[in-house]
Amino acid sequence: MKTFAKYWSIFQITLINSLAYPGELVGRSLMIIPFMWIFYQLWKVTYGAAGAEVIGGLTLRDTMWYLMLAETIELGRPPLARTMSENVKDGSIAYILNKPYDFLLYQFSTSMGETIFRAIVNALFGSLTVWFLVGAPAQPEGFIIALPAIIGAWTLHFCINAMIGLSAFVVEDVSAFTWIYQKLSFVLGGMLIPLDFYPDWLQVIAKSLPFASAIYGPSRLFVTPSVELFVNVMSLQAMWILVLSLLLVAAYRSGLKQLTVNGG
Amino acid sequence: MKEIKFLFAIWKANLQSAMEYRISFLTQMFGMILNNFMYFAIWIIFFDRFEDVRGWGVNDMYVTFGVLASAFGLVSVFFGNTFMLSEVISKGRLDYYLSMPRPVLLHTVASRMISSGVGDFFYGFISYGLSGYLTWDGLARYVLAMLLAATVFAAFLILTQSLSFWFGMMSNFSNLVLNAMLTFGIYPITLFDSYAKLILFTIIPAALMGAVPAEFIREFTWQTLGQLLFGAVAFLGVAILVFRLGLRRYESGSAIQIEV
Repeated sequence: MKTFAKYWSIFQITLINSLAYPGELVGRSLMIIPFMWIFYQLWKVTYGAAGAEVIGGLTLRDTMWYLMLAETIELGRPPLARTMSENVKDGSIAYILNKPYDFLLYQFSTSMGETIFRAIVNALFGSLTVWFLVGAPAQPEGFIIALPAIIGAWTLHFCINAMIGLSAFVVEDVSAFTWIYQKLSFVLGGMLIPLDFYPDWLQVIAKSLPFASAIYGPSRLFVTPSVELFVNVMSLQAMWILVLSLLLVAAYRSGLKQLTVNGG
Repeated sequence: MKEIKFLFAIWKANLQSAMEYRISFLTQMFGMILNNFMYFAIWIIFFDRFEDVRGWGVNDMYVTFGVLASAFGLVSVFFGNTFMLSEVISKGRLDYYLSMPRPVLLHTVASRMISSGVGDFFYGFISYGLSGYLTWDGLARYVLAMLLAATVFAAFLILTQSLSFWFGMMSNFSNLVLNAMLTFGIYPITLFDSYAKLILFTIIPAALMGAVPAEFIREFTWQTLGQLLFGAVAFLGVAILVFRLGLRRYESGSAIQIEV
């Protein structure tokens, strides 16, 4: 219990810290407005050209709310891998590693603390924009149902991002890996196009991967909530979180042996 | 002539500096090429399902994405500090450039090279090669369009980041307009109505970095060439003017800065 309290405190401190610069928080989140507007232009024309009210089980309104949540999940997460890489480069990793806490749990607590308000402000601007463009979500209760999956999505993001960050122990600069992970999320996670619009063979592959569990699953659950979908999304997500957490711990133990601290 | 020699000397020094970390340089270059390919996969999937957007197909996207990537890469490699000009101004780091007997703006923006830009630059040519529009005269137009698009892009960055002379650190605003420019630049221009198009030619000149150069590459017309030339000259002129006006207001503390 005492151990949990320690990480809860770290989470709380980071959470409060993220509110220290409200202007910065708002400024960063404004980016979702042009994104939503351009998505609307694209999908309005596409639905019109297809002459269909529903594509892949989604209306234009569903698609826009789906994209809003997908963007919120993506834009809400902090650049953990880059921060870890910077820590290795400037030597400050030495100060984090010798503190009386578990390095990975510390990173998880700070990462979640930084995420919450970023995501809330993004969701606020994104929702206002989408509401203005296409109206309210068809099933607003979907947000409550999708909430556990959203938290699961950030946990998954954390596992992958931390593994990329840990690679800095060996290669120092991780930017190329973060770009590639981001693009895998875009393409196989369904961040710019819902996976339901993909060819069948690609849908089967993409929906079984962790990228979809982190973006597509929660977003689809939000717009078309059902008990069956909830069970599917949560069980697949839990499986990926378990697998990736084990991999992360193994990567951390092996990375520690190779770490060279530059200075400090 | 003297300034061109000076520019080449800076670029040479930047390249030598980047080559100190050869593995990192190569990782960033190839990583960026792979990154762009993966991003473009979205459009391949989209057009596979929906075929065209008001007459705009996947081949047009190859050209648009290509010229935008090359122009972005060109600015990143040769004028990498345009992305950080706001920070240079607000942190008082212009002092260093002001003390040198060279044009302040040119010296400042050319003093940094972003290695990943090399990947963007080459990816653009590959993308154009895959578009099905590749011809010798098309390639010549590609190079010209890329240079003009890069001029518009660099000018836009200088213009927006120079606002720091008046408003201080503006990294959020700079990121916002940069992202808007790149996002709007790679979407089919046929999506937008006339009001939106007016914005994309003026306030956020994304059309002059993506759609118009792509149109010029596909087929030569005096109109598209005129739009590109006018856009490049006008934006560069305004950017230089705003920077100079801002420079009159510039002040810094007594912090000791080390330029490496």
